Amino acid sequence: MSDSLARRGWARLATRLEVRMFGLALIVFAALSLASPFFLQTNNLLNLLDQSVVTGIVSAGMSFVILTGGIDLSVGSVLGVTAVLMGLAMPHGGILGGVLVAIAIGAGIGLFSGILVARFGLASFVVTLGVMAIGRSLAYIFSGQNSISDLPPGFNDLVYTPILGVPSNVATLIALYVLAWLYLTFTKGGRTIYAIGSNREAARAAGLNVLAYSILPYVVSGALAAVAGVLLSAQILSIDPLAGTALELDAIAAVVIGGASLAGGRGSIIGTFIGVFIMVMIRNGLNLLGVSPFWQGSAIGGIIIAAVLAERLISARTGGR
Amino acid sequence: MAGRGGEGALPLSPPPAGEALLLSARGIEKNFGPTRALAGADFALAAGEVHGLLGANGAGKSTLSRVISGHVRRDRGELLWRGKPFDPAGPRAAIEAGIGMVLQETSLAPDLTVLENIFLPDLARPGWLSLRARRAEALSILGNLGQAETLPLGAEIRRLSAAQRQLVEIAKALAVDAALIIFDEPTASLSPGEVERLFDVMARLRAAGHGLIFVSHRLEEVLAITDRVSVMREGRTVAAALPTASLSQADIVRLMVGQELGRIHHHRAADITTASVLTARHLAAAPMVRDVSFSLHRGEILGLGGLVGAGRSETLEALFGLRPRQGGEVLLSGRPFAPRHPRAAIRAGIAFVPEDRRGQSIVPDFSVRENLLLGHLSAHRGFGLGYRTREARIRALLKTLDLPAERLLDANMLNFSGGMQQKIILARWLLLEPRVLLLDEPTKGVDIGTRQAIYAMLREAADAGTAILVVSSDFEELLGLCSRIVVISDGATIAEMPSAVLDEAKLTLFAAPRSSMAATGQFLSELAAETGGVAFWALLDGGRLFCLARAGVSAPADPGFAAGATPLFGETRIKAALDAAQARFVAEADGDRHTLLVPMRGHRGHDFGVIGLSLAGPGLPDALGLPDALGLPDATAITRRVADLVSRQM
Repeated sequence: MSDSLARRGWARLATRLEVRMFGLALIVFAALSLASPFFLQTNNLLNLLDQSVVTGIVSAGMSFVILTGGIDLSVGSVLGVTAVLMGLAMPHGGILGGVLVAIAIGAGIGLFSGILVARFGLASFVVTLGVMAIGRSLAYIFSGQNSISDLPPGFNDLVYTPILGVPSNVATLIALYVLAWLYLTFTKGGRTIYAIGSNREAARAAGLNVLAYSILPYVVSGALAAVAGVLLSAQILSIDPLAGTALELDAIAAVVIGGASLAGGRGSIIGTFIGVFIMVMIRNGLNLLGVSPFWQGSAIGGIIIAAVLAERLISARTGGR
Repeated sequence: MAGRGGEGALPLSPPPAGEALLLSARGIEKNFGPTRALAGADFALAAGEVHGLLGANGAGKSTLSRVISGHVRRDRGELLWRGKPFDPAGPRAAIEAGIGMVLQETSLAPDLTVLENIFLPDLARPGWLSLRARRAEALSILGNLGQAETLPLGAEIRRLSAAQRQLVEIAKALAVDAALIIFDEPTASLSPGEVERLFDVMARLRAAGHGLIFVSHRLEEVLAITDRVSVMREGRTVAAALPTASLSQADIVRLMVGQELGRIHHHRAADITTASVLTARHLAAAPMVRDVSFSLHRGEILGLGGLVGAGRSETLEALFGLRPRQGGEVLLSGRPFAPRHPRAAIRAGIAFVPEDRRGQSIVPDFSVRENLLLGHLSAHRGFGLGYRTREARIRALLKTLDLPAERLLDANMLNFSGGMQQKIILARWLLLEPRVLLLDEPTKGVDIGTRQAIYAMLREAADAGTAILVVSSDFEELLGLCSRIVVISDGATIAEMPSAVLDEAKLTLFAAPRSSMAATGQFLSELAAETGGVAFWALLDGGRLFCLARAGVSAPADPGFAAGATPLFGETRIKAALDAAQARFVAEADGDRHTLLVPMRGHRGHDFGVIGLSLAGPGLPDALGLPDALGLPDATAITRRVADLVSRQM
């Protein structure tokens, strides 16, 4: 018994997945610091944070969906179409009006997908694949295939106004992660999302509201994709109907590197945060090292597979999670 | 447990002495994670014998059979097949060596035909299939089993009864020339007549030199069909290959549990005169539940008896809001109650422990504590978790569970034994102090020691006023735990009886699927219509009558009991006939009724009760002995028809 009590300390902590992933992030960080003299420069570190905002916010929403055992392929398109509609709404409703329109439409699209998946039992992969195609097509149609650049000048403040010394886009990212973590850890809804992903039948038989909390993650994912679109547009002061293309792949990769199981029930928002950071650091580092952009896809893909394989081998051996 | 015993009913010879060993296993060990499933199991099987493999739940008999059938790989130990070392890499390898398994839940493809299923393993072989040759082969296999007529080769599996599916499994094993066939609880969902037919098939296989392993917990069947038995306890073989003839049921129970338990349970009387907490009237929930009625009282433990597939689990699910209802009425404390989802049922004070622990109860990624609080989470109305409000009660429950508090945070429920898992799931619901607790197979896969703890938890809850409804296929458990039994068969309530008057054999007959008894019902109706009297089918035991079915409405001929009733002879209107118990018409003392009782006996010696026929008659005393003069039908002719019915149907 004393044996197992002793294991409860640091050793036990190390069996936690987030801790292992944090270790991996540190290794990547150290390796890049050694490999490139520019990596550790303050400017570059701020840049890292800046680059992680869009992927990070989308990945938080993706975490909710993946925790229930689903997947949301539509986040990139939702980002694109909501950004375009925000651009069209801003001349009439102002900055706040445009932002609210984007978030409401993002949430609405998520609600649509969620209902098809949870109420009608369609596969999330198929539903969100369809929504992905529709969303991108509508983004082109609404934008007239052109970028929208006549945005209100104050729009840019949404990104760079410092809050407690942190640029507001980074502050938003951090605030959203804290809220998501609190929600998933300390509320009935959050635990229900985990329970659904871990064993849907048991959640149902225990009387949890499986329908509502199977839909909610898609709404969160859609709304957060819109938020990411708002911040991306404010950052570059232009809205491209192509914005967010292939973003779903980065988001899924970040969540998986963060230790979530695509079968649901296992993973954490902290893990996702670390996963996003690992992805962004690697991309940034490869740029600094002058690796051809054509090779970057191979590098990132290889790292994703290696990370997940290593994780599988470790957890198979320790029997932990 | 009378009626189904093995009183020398088997015409076939015991295993030939010195017959070559088919299989021998020595010192087999197997661990599943921290759970020790096998800890040195020995087993030996000769060709031409039926070998019973017995043990309490969790004793390791299923694991051992799965090691033999290649489904599970042993960690240690020696396995010899026909004298040579044998280490099947998977079921495929075992099948190729000649080992077949007839599983509890069949492994057939439901949308394929009987023929296709029998030759399913052939699909894995290269080359063309010749259907015509296969058909001839299938017919010869079924013919050898004496079952050529019972199985249409072109029928899809999902249209077949449980017994027919099992026959397909057996044929499938024979199609690949299995020399050894493992039967894992083959009788769990069969009616007594179907059991007799299965035993006929098994006897033929034995005579043809096959070795059969019979895994079962129905001791009377073990005594009836096996030649030798091996008994397992806690993963070890505690008795190897004892001749069945030398054993009694009590001997076997002693070997299984390691001590004399006597009657495991004790009856507790609940006050059922008070208003009922939960009442169901003609409850229907398609497709399995058609007409279920019962009433459950405060502090009562009521059993829902029936075979697998009778609609028991579905009844509980309908009560809990997991399954839509089509008809009938449910009253909770006198008020109509129709939960649309489990949350509504939980908030109304109902709790439900489903049968499939891994599939329907455990959330594997949650700690023990969160698993314990899962029911609370849905009962809780706030936005947050409200876990703290239950702290005190959890601490109290942990003592009952015998679980150290520090293991509450243990990450993985699946590391615990089945028994501990079940106690935790039970505690999940007791935590809510429900008014009604629904339990589906509460001790499935639970070791015998933990069973006692679970029974104690249930009794304690009942004493505190919870009304408990239990579904169990273990009739001994049901009879011991519950004060009353409601029997359902083919989705309908057919009897409600105090468990004190029942035993396992009677309950089995009551619970038999009505569909397989359809011919009997038909016969009763014909008899009643032809004679204008009342025909019935009943068991007679210890001065008490158990009416299984009844047809006919003639008031003057009424024998004084309905289907499902269990009156003492003196409480019926045909006491004289019952006391006489003869296959001729016997008049009652008042002379108003004449009753004929014809015993039904299967050719393997099973007692299926009696067919009775009561006729209204003029007040002539029986002593005159002139039945023809009274215009009574010919008793011998009816007796012959009953014998015909038994041979046709049972």
